[in-house]
Amino acid sequence: MTGTADDQLTRTLARFILSDARREKARLLAKKARVIWRQFAANRAGLLGLCTLVAFVVLAVFAPWLATHDNPSSWSWTRVNPRYAQPSGEFLFGTDYDGKDVYSLTLYGARASLIVGFLASLISIVLGTIVGLLSGYFGKVSDEVLMRLTDFFLVIPWLPLMIVFVMLMGRSFENVIIVIGITSWPSTSRIVRAQVLSLKSMVFIERAKAVGAGGGHIIAKHILPNVFPLIFANTILLVANAIFSESFLAFLGLQDPTIISWGTMLERAYNTAAFTSFAWWVIAAPGISIVALIMAFYLIGDALDEILNPRLRRR
Amino acid sequence: MTIFLILSFNFLLFRVMPGDVTRIVIPKGADNQTIEDLREYYGLDDSKLSQYFTYLENLFFRGELGESLTVRKGSEVTSILGPYVLNTLILVGIGTIFSIWVGVILGSVTAWKRGKAVDRVGSAFFIVFYCMPTFLFGLVIITLVGRYVPEWPIKGAFGDEYWNLDILGKIGDRTLHMLLPMFALVIETIATFSIITRSSLIDVLTEDYMVTAVAKGLKGKDVLHDHAMPNAMLPVVTVIAMNVGWVMSGSIMIEIIFSYPGLGYLTWDAVWNYDYPVMQAIFMLEAVAVLIANFLADMALFKLDPRVKM
Repeated sequence: MTGTADDQLTRTLARFILSDARREKARLLAKKARVIWRQFAANRAGLLGLCTLVAFVVLAVFAPWLATHDNPSSWSWTRVNPRYAQPSGEFLFGTDYDGKDVYSLTLYGARASLIVGFLASLISIVLGTIVGLLSGYFGKVSDEVLMRLTDFFLVIPWLPLMIVFVMLMGRSFENVIIVIGITSWPSTSRIVRAQVLSLKSMVFIERAKAVGAGGGHIIAKHILPNVFPLIFANTILLVANAIFSESFLAFLGLQDPTIISWGTMLERAYNTAAFTSFAWWVIAAPGISIVALIMAFYLIGDALDEILNPRLRRR
Repeated sequence: MTIFLILSFNFLLFRVMPGDVTRIVIPKGADNQTIEDLREYYGLDDSKLSQYFTYLENLFFRGELGESLTVRKGSEVTSILGPYVLNTLILVGIGTIFSIWVGVILGSVTAWKRGKAVDRVGSAFFIVFYCMPTFLFGLVIITLVGRYVPEWPIKGAFGDEYWNLDILGKIGDRTLHMLLPMFALVIETIATFSIITRSSLIDVLTEDYMVTAVAKGLKGKDVLHDHAMPNAMLPVVTVIAMNVGWVMSGSIMIEIIFSYPGLGYLTWDAVWNYDYPVMQAIFMLEAVAVLIANFLADMALFKLDPRVKM
């Protein structure tokens, strides 16, 4: 009987110690996050970027409530509203060639940009991290093959490559996201590979190997957590890039035309001669939104880079 | 070696992708005999592997890149490319050199005056233009110029009268047509290069040997030119070389918007018409251009930094 009681005691103790360790870990993580946040908050440009981003997210989420016209992309507006109306109380940013309300369109456009930005960079992060880990950790043949593949994507300018991919895969919202994702991973894989190579020779990895940890465990528990901070700032710049790419692809007419995005708005404006008839509001609303959102990501990424990459901090 | 791999990837890319070439080439309602003949003419019945070897053989031993399928049906790709390459070379070449020159100067000025009004205003401008997509800036220019200076040409590389002009007139006409696209193209690259130069120079200026240089009693100008710039230029050269592909992507946007007949415009044409050989050739040219740029950067580094070994 005593044996089981002892067992129980050991198990309880072990659980207690483990949960304590976990709590300690969480506390340290929270502390680290607080320190990073304090440094970030001290960076005025980064904070400005964050505020802009939050504002855009709010606008995108609450677009149906904030919009002055329901279902702004509907063609039925053509019959109701005037063409190229100047900005006014009824049409905050004026109307476009088809009589659609530019203000409401711009709100909905934020959704497409944010979705494309986050999903496309998620794809490219996952791809880039996998490629970087495989080539960095296992080396040899896989390294050689994967790095040549990376070279190909780095050497061919990304824009024509994206155009060709979209054309060949067909024009749709999903394909645009996928194509942006699969053409923008090489920079991530380069960073991950370099970091993995330097981590691999460190003592704590040797220790893990000596204790008998397998490749999967080492990658998941020791390498990934150390790689993540490095790719984090890069990720945010990737989002900016993805948003930019989407707007350009859409401008070229490679986006699904039923999707409301800033790029498709610009394309429509271009095709309906808004540029020659000086309907500046049709161009300014999506144009300024694109620049502001990209700038928000750039400023955040730059601020994070300065914090997470201490080499820059001494300035 | 790298070139060879790129060629192979290039070949694969356009073969693996969906979209049957025969569907594009063969006119609707053609009878079976015609289809057979066309398939044989383009070598589509051969295995992929032998198509690949034919492709390499034609390229290396005859310098041929195949025939255009749709844009200029039946003519050699190499003969089509000529004028387009020249136009892009003028635009991107002059644009890149100009933006390196201006970007390095602006970057060093703002870095030197760090924290002062010049730096604050300058850096704000750099960031705005760095974040502004090139095509958007092109559109803004077209709108404004179309409104206020309607006589200024905004389409093409030269006007309708071009072929009747003498040599000076030709150059003048080309310059007039190129100014706007060039302006739209360089503004982003100038901003990019300025940001790089600025941050690199600021890094260098905090080094201990800069304090030494000032302590020695050197004048500000001498410190900047003799001690700071040579060291700051090293990362700048590398990043500029990495940016060449980016500049070319920018030139595609500009060429499409300004209908400037260069490689980007041709890419656009070829993509819409599924003209695989033309696309393949353009991809190869662009890859080679990026490789050459990297090689030049290595040479420049070798010259700038005696520590670098070839």
